[in-house]
Amino acid sequence: MTEPLLTAPLLSIDGLTASYGGATALHGISLSLRAGEAVALLGANGAGKSTLLKTILGLIPASAGRVQLDGDDITNLATERRVRRGLGYVPEGRRVFPGMSVRDNLEVASPLGRADRARDVERVFTLFPALAEKTADQAWRLSGGQQQMLAVGRALMGRPRLLLLDEPSLGLSPKLAGEVFTAVRAIAAEGTTVLVAEQSAARALSATSRAVLLRLGRIVHDGPADSLPQETLREAFLGG
Amino acid sequence: MITLQLLINGVALGAAYALVALGFVLVLNATSAVNFAQGDLVMAGGLLAVALAPHIPLPGIALLPLTILLMAALGLILALAAYLPLRNRPPVGVFISTIATGIILQNGATILFGPEPRAAPPLFSGGTVSVGGLTVAEQSLAIIAVAAILIAAQQWVFARTQLGRRLRATAQDPEMARACGVPVTAMILVTFALGTAYAGAAGLLLANRYFVTPTAGGDLILKAYIAVTIGGWGSVPGAVVGALLIALFEVGVSSVLSYPVALGALYATLLVILVARPQGLFGEAARRRA
Ligand SMILES: Nc1ncnc2c1ncn2[C@@H]1O[C@H](COP(=O)(O)OP(=O)(O)OP(=O)(O)O)[C@@H](O)[C@H]1O
Ligand SMILES: [Mg+2]
Repeated sequence: MTEPLLTAPLLSIDGLTASYGGATALHGISLSLRAGEAVALLGANGAGKSTLLKTILGLIPASAGRVQLDGDDITNLATERRVRRGLGYVPEGRRVFPGMSVRDNLEVASPLGRADRARDVERVFTLFPALAEKTADQAWRLSGGQQQMLAVGRALMGRPRLLLLDEPSLGLSPKLAGEVFTAVRAIAAEGTTVLVAEQSAARALSATSRAVLLRLGRIVHDGPADSLPQETLREAFLGG
Repeated sequence: MITLQLLINGVALGAAYALVALGFVLVLNATSAVNFAQGDLVMAGGLLAVALAPHIPLPGIALLPLTILLMAALGLILALAAYLPLRNRPPVGVFISTIATGIILQNGATILFGPEPRAAPPLFSGGTVSVGGLTVAEQSLAIIAVAAILIAAQQWVFARTQLGRRLRATAQDPEMARACGVPVTAMILVTFALGTAYAGAAGLLLANRYFVTPTAGGDLILKAYIAVTIGGWGSVPGAVVGALLIALFEVGVSSVLSYPVALGALYATLLVILVARPQGLFGEAARRRA
């Protein structure tokens, strides 16, 4: 309790457990992210990546453990309050608001007044020029890649300190996936802390400096992205 | 000329129905809850106007702001008592609680006002005006104008304001709305307040020409339900158009035959539409509702 604030991590997860009905999907996960870090969350299908992100966000209740953001316990806060405190979320499958225009999808996620909102929308358009040509289009009309960019842009509208991305390259062509990760790198370079869940390790590692490997709801490896042993990676994905 | 007067009366009735259906569909979209009390809320709004009238000796239009405000408050109570406690339960819970709310409103109205029909004051003088040689009831024109303003106000708020964006996001994907920082529960409360306020406004508009009785709501909820069904379940513009069509049909058929025949034909038409075009007359709205 007397730790100096300077060394306090931005996100600190301690013994986090979550389950669906009787099936436990996260077994006492502990993890800390320093401000400005970009971290890849890797693991096979069903490893618990999405569950971990959703539990950090409060979309799934934690049955044990706690989550702290910048030293404050947020374990029992409603999702929207956590978002207001600095979490941003790009869900698996994009989930843009289909019947709303591109601009409205962005604006709705901003807590700021009209002028600041407009400025932030322009910043998103600078990051994703493809969206700037579609401002008035309803989001369901966008291509998969454009929807993914919109989902990332929407999360940025809350000016997050920590951005949680769930498989942002899922279902995209290699070229589009590359563009999305270029954006992720740019976001991280501006100082936003990033936690990105991915199955395709190579791409995620290209944008991050640290890799956390999940297997069956447990962390099996945590270390620098460039020294991730191939053996560990294979094991995490194939079992053994 | 008779037909044109009928048309204006039909549009006036349809404009009031449109407010009822609009309130119904907004709550439906925001919560997936079918608010079976919507018709009884119209009745409550009408009787509220009847009760307020002696205290405010002005034309009926002066009662509108207060009616809207008090009905919005009633909508908040409805949401807190009949929706929020049941939101994570099977939908049948909300079905039953809104039906129960309707029964409470009906019996409350009977106790307070008695079963006999009441009328609210006209919005303005209640006379007639002549437009290009045509004599039309001023009340009809006033109803159309007031309903049009209220519908336009809803459209404007939803399309142009941050509150409206949050309400739409809540309706389209509440979990994702939370993840974008939208206070979803507050938005649901606002939606109930709005839907109930619009029911109340419709009650005031209708309660001059069509006397209100405590049991008038049953008929109105059926019409709102039909309007939303033919408009495409979940479509806001569809609900408004559906309400206009129903009223024109009702006024047209009643003038030639009789009101009971019109009502019977209306229900028969609903059945045909449900069987032949379950997506509503205007197609695939429900999925991509705006
Ligand atoms: N809605 C749910 N109901 C029940 N069990 C679930 C649900 N969602 C996930 N699970 C289970 O929880 C575990 C972790 O799932 P999770 O979706 O977090 O994995 P993931 O790492 O995101 O996988 P993927 O790469 O396929 O997205 C799995 O065993 C899965 O079957
Ligand atoms: Mg997943």
